[in-house]
Amino acid sequence: MTNEESLQKKKNIYSWLLSFPTMAWLVFFFLIPYIIIILYSFFETDIYDVKAVFTLDAYREVFSKEYFRSFYLSFRLATISTLVCLILGYPSAYLIARSSEKVKNFLLVLIIIPFLTNFIIRIFSWRIFLSPEGILNNLLVFFKITDTPLLLIRNDFAVILVMVYVYLPYMILPLYSNIEKMDFSLLDAAMDLGANKIKAFFKVTLPLSKNGILAGSILVFIPALGAYIIPQLVGSQDSLYIGQIITYKIKNIPRNWPLASALSIMLLTFISLLLVAFYFLHIKFNEKMVSKDDK
Amino acid sequence: MGEIRLENVSKRFGNFKAVDNVSLTINNGELFSFLGPSGCGKTTILRMIAGFEMPTKGRIYIENQDITELPPYKRQVNTIFQNYSLFPHMSIFENVAFGLRIKKVPEKEIKKQVHEMLDIVQMYDHKDKYPNAISGGQKQRIAIGRALINKPKVLLLDEPVAALDLKLRQRMIIELMNIHDLVGITFIYVTHDQSEAMSVSDRMTIMNKGQIIQTGQPDDIYERPNSIFSAYFIGDTNLIAGKVVGIEDEFIEIETDLQQEGNKVVLDSSCHLKVDIGTKITLSLRPEKIAISRKQPAIKSDFNILKGKIEDILYLGTHTQYIVKVGQHKFRVFNQHKRVYFDDVALDWEEDVYLFWHDIDSFVILDQENN
Repeated sequence: MTNEESLQKKKNIYSWLLSFPTMAWLVFFFLIPYIIIILYSFFETDIYDVKAVFTLDAYREVFSKEYFRSFYLSFRLATISTLVCLILGYPSAYLIARSSEKVKNFLLVLIIIPFLTNFIIRIFSWRIFLSPEGILNNLLVFFKITDTPLLLIRNDFAVILVMVYVYLPYMILPLYSNIEKMDFSLLDAAMDLGANKIKAFFKVTLPLSKNGILAGSILVFIPALGAYIIPQLVGSQDSLYIGQIITYKIKNIPRNWPLASALSIMLLTFISLLLVAFYFLHIKFNEKMVSKDDK
Repeated sequence: MGEIRLENVSKRFGNFKAVDNVSLTINNGELFSFLGPSGCGKTTILRMIAGFEMPTKGRIYIENQDITELPPYKRQVNTIFQNYSLFPHMSIFENVAFGLRIKKVPEKEIKKQVHEMLDIVQMYDHKDKYPNAISGGQKQRIAIGRALINKPKVLLLDEPVAALDLKLRQRMIIELMNIHDLVGITFIYVTHDQSEAMSVSDRMTIMNKGQIIQTGQPDDIYERPNSIFSAYFIGDTNLIAGKVVGIEDEFIEIETDLQQEGNKVVLDSSCHLKVDIGTKITLSLRPEKIAISRKQPAIKSDFNILKGKIEDILYLGTHTQYIVKVGQHKFRVFNQHKRVYFDDVALDWEEDVYLFWHDIDSFVILDQENN
């Protein structure tokens, strides 16, 4: 064995040792639970838990119309929230990225401040704010914009609104860090070559922020797909999202753990496929921009 | 076509006067440089001509058309940026095609023109690569091609070779001059490097603190600097303070502060500013114009001869720089390495030497502050 080889081997051992805690964590709290879920999805259901008998019943049920609607609702919620977050988040991220150092830090703190308050409390405050006796409705009635309070809560609109509110920072922050790295002299170059500000944006700024858009979209889309708390607190019980269905099947009697497991696995499979697609998109965006020597 | 006129142009950034009342005409087809230390306002002038900055005061004309308030995308002016600013997400071909695509030129025409341009800048073989995969010199060629394909009336170059290493810089400067000859449009070149400016320019302007110090041909500015700033900024010089004490037909006699026997030096009277007896002046004397020897030269009426002691010797390859102490003054003297020496044995530290120069070779700068 040459010196170089033994050195390489040593390095490998060190990197394994260093990653051991993370690996152990992932095995105990992610891999093993998931194996249990996969097993459960092939079991027969009982009112309280499962019977260890192999069956495909759960999967047959997953593809029934009832759950299709929930999948559709979740997918719609995720798509709309991502788009709205992108449309609202992009200008904010751009503004922050182009601000002076002082203003930039101040604005970033403003974006991060909501994280200091508990997630549930923030959703409850929306509930109070939007409720028929809430501030917003009182104001609307006071200014005679409506005669009777509007139904602003317990519907899909409220779910999307609160979703966007909660996940907007997850869109803004990756977009900001992406746009901030952009060489703004490229915009001068585009204008110098005859592009007005709008063309320069669509030909230069937007294509160069693809990575930020991708990262932000993943961070909003995926949690939105499995959303449970927000639909539960501000949504209607007539339109159940997939996260709610899974929870109900776990905790409400008659329980159906195999079905909940199968639904979870469908969701996970879908998200995994999506991530793989995003990954290839990302590679495609970047392969040409990276120099051959850097590889 | 391509003539640029600046009329009383000023630019303020807050309280800072970046450009202060500059008036200037740049002729059609000229390769004109702005030279000055960083912060002298040269880049601001360039950015105002390009349209990225609006003058606080004054007007800018191209071919008698007032372009002061036109946005950059409406000016027939293109820029080579300091870091080239190639679009990293577009291939070399697309970078060069950018301007034509904005103008919605038909696809076939774009292809033809881009290929022609890539041929001119010798980058055709690289057309499918991306900017990150090519070298600095190649990037610069693409930047030139991307600008010239729009057929601008004026090409602006903002420190175009500053990012390259020395050898490549020299080669790219020659390429730039060749391209200038080929396209024949006005080039405006901004640099802080005096040798670069001297070698490329038809004419140049030296700037300091937002103001024009001197405008002229490079040799004119070098041989006849109008101020201490010009004399120092272009090349090296020795400055000697003095007072005019005698004016003859052929020479002017100056009493200097050299505090040495034979305190007076003479100047050829034909080649500079009119001076009167008693005028305080500064003499600028380039280090390469001074001869150095340990042997006393023959006394001639049009020679100035000083005696001094060598303090330092700096070997610089093409020449050696001697620091020679004359009275309280330290003279810098360049001596080229030739087989024809005044002295058989090389000069050494602490040696007594003679410095001498022809009276045409020193130049009078009127000392504004003392007059």
